[in-house]
Amino acid sequence: MTPVISRLARTDWFGPLAVIVFATIIVSAFDPSFLSPFNIQILMLAVAVNCVIAMSQMVIIAIGQMNLAVGAIGGLAAISFAGMMQIWGLPPLLAAAAALALGIVAGLANGLLISATGISAFIITLASLSIFKGANLGITRAQPFYGVPESVKAFGNTTIAGPIPWLALPAALVIAAMWYLLYRQRIGRYILAVGGNQSAAELSGISVPSAVLWAHAMSGFLAALAGVLLVARLQLGEPTIGDDWLILSFAAPVIGGAVLSGGHVSVFGTLFGVVIVAIITQALVIFRIDPFFVQVVLGLLILWAVGVNRLREVRMQRTLKRA
Amino acid sequence: MDNVGFEARGVRKTFPGVLALQDVGIKLRGGSIHALLGENGAGKSTLIKIITGVHRPDSGEMLLNGAPVRFEGPREAIAAGIGVVHQERNLVPRFSVGENILLERLGGGLLRPIDYAAIHAEARRWLDVLELDLDPRTPVSQLNVAKMQLVEIAKALSLRSRVLLLDEPTASLTPHESLVLFGLLRKLRDEGVGILFVSHKLEEVQAICDEVTVLRDGRNACESRSMAGLERQDLVRLMIGRSEQIPNWTPRDRGAAEPMLELRDVSTSLGHKAVDLTVRRGEIVGLYGLVGAGRTELAKCILGLHAITQGAIVVAGRPERIADVADAVHRCKIGYISEDRKQEGLVLTHSVLQNAGITVWRGLANRLRLLGDRTVRSHVLPFIRKLEVRTPSLAQTVSNLSGGNQQKISVAKWLAAGARILIVDEPTVGIDIKTKAYIHELLRQLADEGTAILLITSDMPEIITLADRIVVMDDYRIKGDIINDRSYAPMSERIMHLIHDRDAA
Amino acid sequence: MNAPTSVEGAAMAESEPPARDDGLSQKGAPGWTRFLLTNEFGLVTLIVIFGAVFALGTPGFSSPFNLFTLGRTMAIDIMIGFSMMVVIVTGGLNLSVGAIGVCVAIGCGWLLEVAGAPLALAIFAALALGAALGALNGVLIVRSGLHSFIITLATMSVFFGLMLFLTHANAYRQVPLEFSAFGKMRFAGYLSPLLLVSIAIGLLLAGLYRFTPLGREMLAAGAKAAAAELSGVRVGRTIVICHALSGVLAGIAAVMVVARTGAAIPQMAGNLGQDWLLPAFLGPVLGGTLLAGGRASVLGTFLGAALVSELTNGLLQFRIGEFWVQTWLGLLLLLAVLMDLARRSFLARRGV
Repeated sequence: MTPVISRLARTDWFGPLAVIVFATIIVSAFDPSFLSPFNIQILMLAVAVNCVIAMSQMVIIAIGQMNLAVGAIGGLAAISFAGMMQIWGLPPLLAAAAALALGIVAGLANGLLISATGISAFIITLASLSIFKGANLGITRAQPFYGVPESVKAFGNTTIAGPIPWLALPAALVIAAMWYLLYRQRIGRYILAVGGNQSAAELSGISVPSAVLWAHAMSGFLAALAGVLLVARLQLGEPTIGDDWLILSFAAPVIGGAVLSGGHVSVFGTLFGVVIVAIITQALVIFRIDPFFVQVVLGLLILWAVGVNRLREVRMQRTLKRA
Repeated sequence: MDNVGFEARGVRKTFPGVLALQDVGIKLRGGSIHALLGENGAGKSTLIKIITGVHRPDSGEMLLNGAPVRFEGPREAIAAGIGVVHQERNLVPRFSVGENILLERLGGGLLRPIDYAAIHAEARRWLDVLELDLDPRTPVSQLNVAKMQLVEIAKALSLRSRVLLLDEPTASLTPHESLVLFGLLRKLRDEGVGILFVSHKLEEVQAICDEVTVLRDGRNACESRSMAGLERQDLVRLMIGRSEQIPNWTPRDRGAAEPMLELRDVSTSLGHKAVDLTVRRGEIVGLYGLVGAGRTELAKCILGLHAITQGAIVVAGRPERIADVADAVHRCKIGYISEDRKQEGLVLTHSVLQNAGITVWRGLANRLRLLGDRTVRSHVLPFIRKLEVRTPSLAQTVSNLSGGNQQKISVAKWLAAGARILIVDEPTVGIDIKTKAYIHELLRQLADEGTAILLITSDMPEIITLADRIVVMDDYRIKGDIINDRSYAPMSERIMHLIHDRDAA
Repeated sequence: MNAPTSVEGAAMAESEPPARDDGLSQKGAPGWTRFLLTNEFGLVTLIVIFGAVFALGTPGFSSPFNLFTLGRTMAIDIMIGFSMMVVIVTGGLNLSVGAIGVCVAIGCGWLLEVAGAPLALAIFAALALGAALGALNGVLIVRSGLHSFIITLATMSVFFGLMLFLTHANAYRQVPLEFSAFGKMRFAGYLSPLLLVSIAIGLLLAGLYRFTPLGREMLAAGAKAAAAELSGVRVGRTIVICHALSGVLAGIAAVMVVARTGAAIPQMAGNLGQDWLLPAFLGPVLGGTLLAGGRASVLGTFLGAALVSELTNGLLQFRIGEFWVQTWLGLLLLLAVLMDLARRSFLARRGV
């Protein structure tokens, strides 16, 4: 039994999963309605959008960079989606496709600037964050677009079966696709190889710029998708969409065991990270703790997670030395 | 008959402001093992990077099987069948052994996932060739350095290259692993592969190489000549332009001088056990050992970077508890010249003045804790002059100076700090032969003036030239202590005997 | 391209004439071309050009009142830039400058309004809070050995959330009259004393890096921590001090905001204080402070931040797309790093 546990403990997803189970037991002991279908639906709605946001940062962490513009791209895609439907009267599917394409282009622009100039991803995405956010405010003049069609609103607020909302469907597809891409497709392996040891990847004949471009294009696509889903859920195209994604987008992958220097991320770990954040947010509501406290908890979670990851790394090296 | 697999002619390469290679040629025959020799900085790495497509030559041509080739990147060189094992570790740590071996040939398509079973089976074949008993599914991060090195060799083999480049492949292998590798290289040679073997271990080169090319100062000192009839001394002469010389210094006996640094039964958190060591005023104690013996680590424990778990450090007769490096430097007057000049020795992006003065800023500040450049300059300048540092000005950025001049600055900062004890770690690695002799004289002169010097080096001639006493370390323990009489053959034999003692016992 | 340094060095030493006393006793005279290529000169030129364009283009720009407001904003932007610069010097960064700033402002407001502390004491205590929060960042970074990015990202959330949690997002508007009067004070009709404070602090910082062992140690620790440590610099302690200093400077910026608006408002720097991030990086990066650490240009940061405030103000005066200002600033940041890249490769090609 012990070897099974110790092998499980070495995976990235086991710790977060244990925390989820533990937290669920505790919270539902205090308030049984925590496990009511309605509450589960609320949790799943939050998880669906947030896990797409987290994946869009995760793929950049995989390659050893960071993308500060995740929220700005998502926000720009969201208002474009709503705006195209309201002002140009585009059908929702076409508008969504255009918004997702915009996300890909924005991501590609980031990737292109980073790999062509060699300037750090931090500075490039800080600049593009501000460019995209400015464009968002310039287009909307800081006013929301309200003209969202009923079909879109319905998609964001009805359920498939039982407590499972429609929004969970694209999220589940994203999770499956990310897993397939990162663990069973060449491009995903190359992204992780570049993140793990860039010069090794380069000398093996892997094209580093194209891996960087792919990663940023994916990140842009996922950020845009999250923006579109959020429009469906909020029923309006708010210019503030994306403003508060930054912390969450780093917290979830890091809780899931991602190494910030690149080369190692966990899709399911990240998903569980998002679930943990959702449960804690919900628990604060149940225990009537000031909602502002969520920020504090998020920050502490990041600190805790990077601390744990660091300890695991140190311990791994120590057992290596002894071997 | 002249079965030339790869040939380079008249290769010239410049980096901004520097001529790295000039009119260099090499002919790599199929079915032969070809040694590429040269001192650090002679241009070996640059030549390898050109052959493997990392750099492009400014002029000159390269021929593969008689046809001209030009590589725009490593990918093209690999595709052309040039396999290479680079000096730096080039594996992705979180990936499995098998995936690393076949990294650029993972296969699969959008609807066809990567077939890991096939990859690991294919990798298994190449590990078997190397007689390496290793599960291809093991993550590389769990291997030791020697195994990683062998995985890289398996990776190069798996390309079925007709031309194979090995850059210092034995640096981290045990003697047994090296022998296995040599057997394999001979087998590949007999199958017609052309192998370029870069090593600074001349014994190895003499043992397995058929031909040799030597570079000196970015030019051919000899090109693709047969190893037949070449002795060690001949190779050395080709590499450095003259034969090895050991200055004829008279042995000194410092046995009666006052001990400046004593380790008494010291154990450390890094794993040193029961280390006893004494360095006396004016004495040079050589600490000899192979890479990984724990010498640099011992130096860092003395400096307070890692904890002493047992025993005592006595500085100039007083037991000291050294809390951190600042404590060692400022209170105990211990200076450390690192083997890793670029990372630990100097702040390369800062000026000569900043680097030479860094140890004395605190001491030179006035009562208001203020300190101007002029004060630092007047304190540091005598030492810079004394060491004959060649620099256009004190404001020059250190990275623009030669390795030798950089090393002089790292000595100067300890002279400026008034260090009584100097720990000198591999002081002449990557330094040209003239400056090397100068640094040797300088260390000798410092000792004559009363500095206690602990010299860490893996360079046998260096330790026999300089040390008054030689202490041998292996596996984090002291193996023995010899008075150096400066006769090369018997001394080196005694040292090696002490190291290999472990295997006999 | 990374040339092997040893090769490079060896070749240079041989081509060098044996420079002796003459070379060592005096500094290399700075050439005029070199000066013209410096960031600082470029920034001054841009400030003058844009100043002229704005002054000619719209009468409002050069009015004494606009110059006064511009000076106030500039003072604040400069302080925000400094608060980032002092950590960039260590090769790190501090995403929590905005959050620390808001905490200091709110702390100051609370001390004045709720605790009824005298003005000087309230400001001093609030700045001490900034120093403590910054030092906490520093300790976490040094102890964990993790990059400052993730640590300060986390503390940005923690600091801001705790502040909101403790104050219930209340603003403090009962600021003593003499304090807001200081914010409204004008010398000669257009000069804000806040700008003088920024200039004074800039001089102090320049002095820190030039004339004190501590400042020199900060630069050395930032350029190459391992080398500095082995030369006897207490690198960990130095980094903590840098982060504490960053907290104080962010605090000064926040206190200036309180003086200007006459109130301490939790939303003054946007959600989590994120609105300060762009000016915080724009100043140092425009000013040529390398993100790699080990170098600081106090004058450059000062001028960079000044240029940013001037541009923002001018664009608003022109009334061209008030909402697009962020986009222009983002493009400016991009342009600045690209120009810097071009300048560097030009200098490298000339072998300077």
